[in-house]
Amino acid sequence: MSEKIKITIDGKECEAKAGEYVLNIARANGIFIPAICYLTNCSPTLACRLCLVEADGKQVYACNAKAKDGMSIVTVTENIIKERRAIMEVYDVNHPLECGVCDQSGECELQNYTLEMKVDAQHYAIRDTYRPVKKWNFIHYDSSLCIVCERCVTVCKDMIGDAALKTVPRGGDALDKSWKEQMPKDAYAMWNKLQKSIIGAVTGGELDCTWCGECISVCPVGALVSEDYHYTTNSWELTKIPASCAHCSATCHLYYETKHTSIENPEPKIYRVTNEFHYQPLCGAGRFGFDFENRAKKDQKAFDKAVEAFKKADTIKFSSYITNEEALILQKLKEQYGYKLINEDALALKSFLEHFAEYSGKSLPSGDVKAVHESNFVISIGSALKSDNPRVRFALNNAVKMNKGGALYFHPIKDPIIEGIGKTVVPIYHKPLQEEAALYFVLQEFADKEKLPKYMREYLDSLMVTKTKEVEETVKEKVVEVVEESVIDKKTGKEKKVQKKIEKEVPKKVKKKIEYQTSSLYEILGVDENYKDKLKKVLAKKERSTLILGEDLLTHPRAENIAKLAGFIDRFTDFEVLLIPPKTNSLGVALICDLDEEAGEYSIGYNVKGDFTLSALGDGDLDMPALNQQEGTFTNIDKRVVPTNVALPYDGYVLNDIARALGVSDKEYTIEFTRELPESKGYRAIAFDDLPNEFGNDMSENRGYVLESKKVHLSRKSVEPMEELSELKGTVIYRCEPVLQFSPFTNRAHQLQEQAKLYASETFLEEFGLQEGDKVNIQKDDITITLEVALDEKIASGAYVGTFDKSVAAASLFDGYRFTEVLMQKV
Amino acid sequence: MSGLEQFRDRNVSQNYYKVKIEPYPKSGWEKFKRVVKRSLKLELFVGLKITLLEMIRFNIHTIQYPKEKLPIAPRYRAVHKLLRLLESGNERCIGCGLCEKICIANCIRIDTKVDEFGRKVPTEYTINFGRCIFCGYCAEVCPELAIVHGPDYENASEQRAHFALKEDMLTPLDKLKEQKEFPGFGAPTPAADRLIKKTPLAY
Amino acid sequence: MDSAFVIETIIKILIVLGLFSALAGFGTYVERKVLAFMQRRLGPMHVGPYGLLQVLADGIKLFTKEDFIPQGAVRPIFMIAPVITAATAFIAMAAIPMFPEFTIKGYTVKPIISDINVGLLFVLGVMATGLYGPLLAGMASQNKWSILGAARTAIQFLSYEVVTGLSVLAPVMIVGSLSLIDFNNYQAGGVSEWLIWKQPLAFVLFLIAGFAETNRTPFDLLEHEAEVISGYATEYSGMRWGMFFIGEYANMFTLGFLASLIFLGGFNDLWFIPGAIAILMKVFFIFFFFLWTRASWPHVRPDQLMWLCWKVLMPLGVINVVITGIVMMF
Repeated sequence: MSEKIKITIDGKECEAKAGEYVLNIARANGIFIPAICYLTNCSPTLACRLCLVEADGKQVYACNAKAKDGMSIVTVTENIIKERRAIMEVYDVNHPLECGVCDQSGECELQNYTLEMKVDAQHYAIRDTYRPVKKWNFIHYDSSLCIVCERCVTVCKDMIGDAALKTVPRGGDALDKSWKEQMPKDAYAMWNKLQKSIIGAVTGGELDCTWCGECISVCPVGALVSEDYHYTTNSWELTKIPASCAHCSATCHLYYETKHTSIENPEPKIYRVTNEFHYQPLCGAGRFGFDFENRAKKDQKAFDKAVEAFKKADTIKFSSYITNEEALILQKLKEQYGYKLINEDALALKSFLEHFAEYSGKSLPSGDVKAVHESNFVISIGSALKSDNPRVRFALNNAVKMNKGGALYFHPIKDPIIEGIGKTVVPIYHKPLQEEAALYFVLQEFADKEKLPKYMREYLDSLMVTKTKEVEETVKEKVVEVVEESVIDKKTGKEKKVQKKIEKEVPKKVKKKIEYQTSSLYEILGVDENYKDKLKKVLAKKERSTLILGEDLLTHPRAENIAKLAGFIDRFTDFEVLLIPPKTNSLGVALICDLDEEAGEYSIGYNVKGDFTLSALGDGDLDMPALNQQEGTFTNIDKRVVPTNVALPYDGYVLNDIARALGVSDKEYTIEFTRELPESKGYRAIAFDDLPNEFGNDMSENRGYVLESKKVHLSRKSVEPMEELSELKGTVIYRCEPVLQFSPFTNRAHQLQEQAKLYASETFLEEFGLQEGDKVNIQKDDITITLEVALDEKIASGAYVGTFDKSVAAASLFDGYRFTEVLMQKV
Repeated sequence: MSGLEQFRDRNVSQNYYKVKIEPYPKSGWEKFKRVVKRSLKLELFVGLKITLLEMIRFNIHTIQYPKEKLPIAPRYRAVHKLLRLLESGNERCIGCGLCEKICIANCIRIDTKVDEFGRKVPTEYTINFGRCIFCGYCAEVCPELAIVHGPDYENASEQRAHFALKEDMLTPLDKLKEQKEFPGFGAPTPAADRLIKKTPLAY
Repeated sequence: MDSAFVIETIIKILIVLGLFSALAGFGTYVERKVLAFMQRRLGPMHVGPYGLLQVLADGIKLFTKEDFIPQGAVRPIFMIAPVITAATAFIAMAAIPMFPEFTIKGYTVKPIISDINVGLLFVLGVMATGLYGPLLAGMASQNKWSILGAARTAIQFLSYEVVTGLSVLAPVMIVGSLSLIDFNNYQAGGVSEWLIWKQPLAFVLFLIAGFAETNRTPFDLLEHEAEVISGYATEYSGMRWGMFFIGEYANMFTLGFLASLIFLGGFNDLWFIPGAIAILMKVFFIFFFFLWTRASWPHVRPDQLMWLCWKVLMPLGVINVVITGIVMMF
């Protein structure tokens, strides 16, 4: 696949990989080929047919023509111009002339291409069909504006994995055959298809999906828009501020688009969030949860109190929703004043990484999200992917769809969304606390045993058990039948009965007991022994594989050994290991700060509750800027240091001001710390303003820089064998945020506000005799919280509670591990 | 030429006439000769005669401005008006923001929202007359002929920034019948019907 | 001196002061109206009927305006200069017989404050002193425009003093007296006796010099707006500036009376018209003529003004005196 070839496009010689699409090669080389329906990283739709080019004298579509060595492409010929112009005219047929109010006006691809193709007159006409507006939760679908390019359908299927949209019959007039002679061939074909279809929800009525809103982003016209943004402003009024999403560790690239709030109020406001959909998808939390800013003014009294409190305190508790620079300031505070730094999730990650490094030899795991995109075999362990990190879920879906790949999904909670990705995704719903077994399972099933150290080989062999099973076999038996035949004797002419013996082979089913070798892990994890049948094709062509490890492992009672195992897998197998940091900048905090386990007597809380609380949520003793009001960097899941920018102004005090007052910082701005991030941990001394935040035409991600993975001395100790843990009994609930929520910050955004509930699957409701809307008391030790029960159709077993609602102390139910036993009582 | 033709006639050079200027005297003698000549021709008294005659004729041209006003040209670009649809009385403005975009003085601002019928409506429309240069681009770009120039040119203000709000500019509902179309920038030309390319219809 | 004379004189002084101050104000109104009509305009219309109260409004404005003295100005001189202009203008009027004698309840009133036998000399002398007003004002103002205006004052007033003197010399020779009452009595015989017929050139020279002396268009170079902002008056405001104005208008009336008395038959009865009204008509015509020229003629340049004075008018004046002398000899 990776062999280099050369093709010529419009006389320009371009280097490419064999089998790459011509359109992508052209784009990477800065050659313009018009296309509406094609989405990078998704399968070609062939809906618009604009990307028509001539390859070696034959007309092909650039979006699905694979490059061959020595190919010569011409992007513009007389016929192609005619076709493209006719196609744009057809798109304009019956398209409402409401550019004046349309939300897409100004960035509309239909407008752009209509002008680009110089359409100045309409030659075609057909009777219009009534196409009503549909409102789907966050999404507003005006089907009369829709040009059925199917980008939304494609992205939903190939990138997101919800496959919630499809084309449905339009119910319009059939195209008059006479057009066929009057217009160019491709334009006619495209019109014929267009006239028959429109976009609709797969369910028929309401859209049923995980509300990522990527369809809004990809829609080239104003058909799909955000209900909240609808008709509030014009796109050209907005200032695009490139930034990084602050909600989870994927820190996806996005633009905050700001404008003054209204005529009376000149304060800027974020109107919407857009993303570069050709390069990176964005989940719903990023897209709809943008206004979590803290509009505070300078409060000198509170600031003085804060400085006092810092002088008094011996501990700083903080969350990972901070930038690297702030983490560095905290570390410097610790170095000067000896504060204890308390951050549970980052501490778990830090110790995991340390043990991981001892067995992998590298300070950081090898995988990134791009690796998942490019893999064709992915295993996920210990993460409720769609909630914990939607970007990784999208990548997994993309890998399965685009690379004809397969996946194993280890998790205790049944997830129909992951299952729905495709038949080659095998869900393994093990019991909680069995994650260690899952890692051993990976070693046993997919590692090259020859390469493993002897002790491991022996241990894995010891896990094999001999089992007997009844197999139905079909055996061919020889049966002798005696058949009586009437034969007419030639001589006598009389009938005579003759008995004949005929030998026959008849299939017969026989039950047989056979003995075979199998792994005891199958039983422990509850894996169907025949799962490999589904993945036969995938495993045969396995080229690149990724192992995704989630937050369940970090907080697992056996996290230390799991980390070692993960390192072991990273070192001895082909798997690239991708570790999902639990919160936005957990990785950055883990690398930059020396964290402590035990808190002291008087604590400062930063975005968590302390004796004196600094809060970006506006509920503390001193206000802090939210992450869309700060510039700085995050260390994300890809081990990349990405910059984020100020979308909204902040008038209050920042952490750097406190550090200055305490004599720790001599910097005017927090971002002056960017070049001081510790190089020993892989950071580079680059100033904030020199960090890029964009994508290249050739799909390269020019965002910040990637951390350098340092070499680490290997440990000589062997990985411990599996330890059996006592099973969780009674009512087990999971700590997980609902889709679209990550933290109190997402919950602060006006579109995403909701009350914390007990999100339960249908089976859970049945098991405990609950109904939606019931209230339950959940008790653990001496803590009791009351929650409303909500049905979550996106899980098929179990129940979970989220920590996003700061009014509910849900986090206190859990002690490390994300599953916990509780007492539940209906109120 | 009729009045309107004359008004539209931009070729004003035909109405110019040139004054003959005699060469300037160089020597003192020439200057003396000029003084004598002018004195003998009683040029000074010609001047006196003209002014005296004007006074006697009493042909006053003053327009006493606040009391009397000159009629202004129909295309005059004065303080803006927001028009309504004549049939329904609805506002014509659809909040497309083109005027906001094209305004070279950057003095127009619009707030829009969705109304109960799912249409985009401007909730507020302001023009900062402290900045407006009355170029007429907003009226020209308006696709709905909603924002036009009115005939009221008295926009003096106590403040540097003087705003007009939507209710100041919008035709009141009871005055709908008196609403006049603006014939200036942005109005369709008489040849519009002939010049436009017609879209085929399948009905 | 009997007290009646003192009282009479004081009353006359008050009347002259009051009347001519008011007339100066009213003069501005008339000037604006006349100029407006000649330029097809209406002039002041809004304050009072036909804008008549405009004078009052201007007065209120002038009185209430801040009396501004620039930082670098020579304060006492700056403050006193306008007073000099106004004072000399009024003092000059002391020796002018305005009207014929009349009797009130048997008391004969001479409408002249002081009948001195060198009246003409006195008037011309005091008017010449008026030069100090603008000159000192300009020099004290610490302003470039003012100093230019002051310089112009000096050259213009001094130069035209010569022409005035020469032009009245010939009539004085004919009348043989410097008393203005004698001039009046000399022309008592009717229109044919008017000195203008005997001395037309002297009349023209006197009038031209009068324009220059009173700083009127076309010779208003002292405060020529287009060239020196407002000349000597640039830094003045309020009533101090107003006093320059009053002086200018009072001078215009003085000049009108002088011209009437010397050349146009004075306050003698004219046909059926009583002398008092006749002289008023003559004065107002001359006043009107000032305005009329202002509406009709352009300014001259300073060099043209000097050229006119020294190369044209002065020689003509000398020739006129010589010719008059020769004629009188024979």
